[in-house]
Amino acid sequence: VIALLRYQSAILLRSHRWIFPLIAYGLLIAVGAAGSTSLAETLDWSGAMLVPFVAFLTRGMLTAEPDAARACVAAAAGPARAQLATLIVPLGGGAVLGLAAVAFDVLTAEAAARSPGAGLAGKVAAAADHPAIVAGGLLIALVCLLVGSAVGALCNPPLLRHRAAAMLSTLAAIIIALVADVSPASAAISHTTAQAASPLAANWPGTGSLLGAACLLAVTWGVSVIAGTRRDTWSASSD
Amino acid sequence: VQLEAVGKRYGLRQPWVVRGVSVDLRAGRLIRVSGRNGSGKSTLLRVTAGVSLPSAGKVTGRPHTGYVPERFPGGLPFSGREYLRHLARVHGLRGEPGRRRVEQWLERLGAAGYADQSLRSMSKGMCQKMAIAQALLPAPGLLVLDEAWTGLDQAARGELDAAVAERVTAGGIVLFVDHDPARLAGREDERWNFDGDGGVTVLAGPAPLADPVPQAVRRVESVTLRLETTDAAGVVDQVRAIDGVRVISVNVDGADGPGAAES
Repeated sequence: VIALLRYQSAILLRSHRWIFPLIAYGLLIAVGAAGSTSLAETLDWSGAMLVPFVAFLTRGMLTAEPDAARACVAAAAGPARAQLATLIVPLGGGAVLGLAAVAFDVLTAEAAARSPGAGLAGKVAAAADHPAIVAGGLLIALVCLLVGSAVGALCNPPLLRHRAAAMLSTLAAIIIALVADVSPASAAISHTTAQAASPLAANWPGTGSLLGAACLLAVTWGVSVIAGTRRDTWSASSD
Repeated sequence: VQLEAVGKRYGLRQPWVVRGVSVDLRAGRLIRVSGRNGSGKSTLLRVTAGVSLPSAGKVTGRPHTGYVPERFPGGLPFSGREYLRHLARVHGLRGEPGRRRVEQWLERLGAAGYADQSLRSMSKGMCQKMAIAQALLPAPGLLVLDEAWTGLDQAARGELDAAVAERVTAGGIVLFVDHDPARLAGREDERWNFDGDGGVTVLAGPAPLADPVPQAVRRVESVTLRLETTDAAGVVDQVRAIDGVRVISVNVDGADGPGAAES
């Protein structure tokens, strides 16, 4: 499995399919950090934006390997494991970036605190010193990471191979995941927004949304792996 | 390797591409799969190689497998050498032994000088050599070749023929499709013929019998028997035990009893 992960992550890195999602995520985080009034809110935002990032990174990975190359790997290591590796790699990429974003949020908040005087900045610095807020932010990022991966697995090959349909349904699923009340990601985010009135309050998104996100991930990955073992064509088709 | 009533279709409303194939693949056999275009040869090869799971029945006892697809278009962001090193690791060959195996096969196929080109810029024949090298790296117990000779130069075709012979001699199973009837002619142990609706008839090939056989014994290419029995599996075992029987292919007409259903 480690060899498969190495192979797939080399394909993802060298095919440059990560560049566009990364730039978009970086811009969104910068905008979010500039526009937020508290650390809890900033963490909320950077967690929420992980959903589109991981979804599109997963799409990039699922369409990167040509069918013939996948067939060779599937014969060598089994089609289920090959498909699992293509799902794990973008999830790992999202995890690294999510951690980086939380670190960025906390560091920029502290930097703001050192600037003299400002009452708001002082509050933000106080929040950064409060570990429960950071832990809550990490938990939100985890929930959004799982939901984003589930969206990417569900709306792309081998389940949905038509290119335009896959793109549109990925976008629609991202919006639903961030807005609809039933979505674990939306539940995790809105839970903090309700508490954001007092910036020092801990922002636990609740174990329910984490559990929901984990179930969603298990189901969508399961369906994707089953489809991956039954199909002979995995990558995108344009007709 | 055993195929038990293997069938494959791509979707519930799609027609069966392969249906009801039950065969034992025994060690050390070279098997040619033939049939007209679109008859299901490639699909059966992929199911046998474990690239995709059958829609019905099962494939059991599959050893480590190398698979060469009919077209290997490159398209990966690697050089040939990097690709083969990745695939060596996927096949379970780590570190120095894996690297040595890669160089060995690049050398044998005459591709060592081109292996640092990116797969995207390689010629069709050179890409095909990469696909063949990755399948042969682990000395697989089951080698599945889908038109693997296409696009190779003469030296590489000879090397591939030799590699097939090596696998068979070492007790491996080699399953191949090729459009050229002269390919490995006279060396096949079995021929699997697609009959047009997804079924397969297994015939003995022209390869010389391995055990010494008295000159007086007449060679019988194939015999068709029609039996009515409640214990089909038992009968098949008895027939298989007869000296000189190489291949059995079973068609069940009226599956009334439990024994018949099993076969």
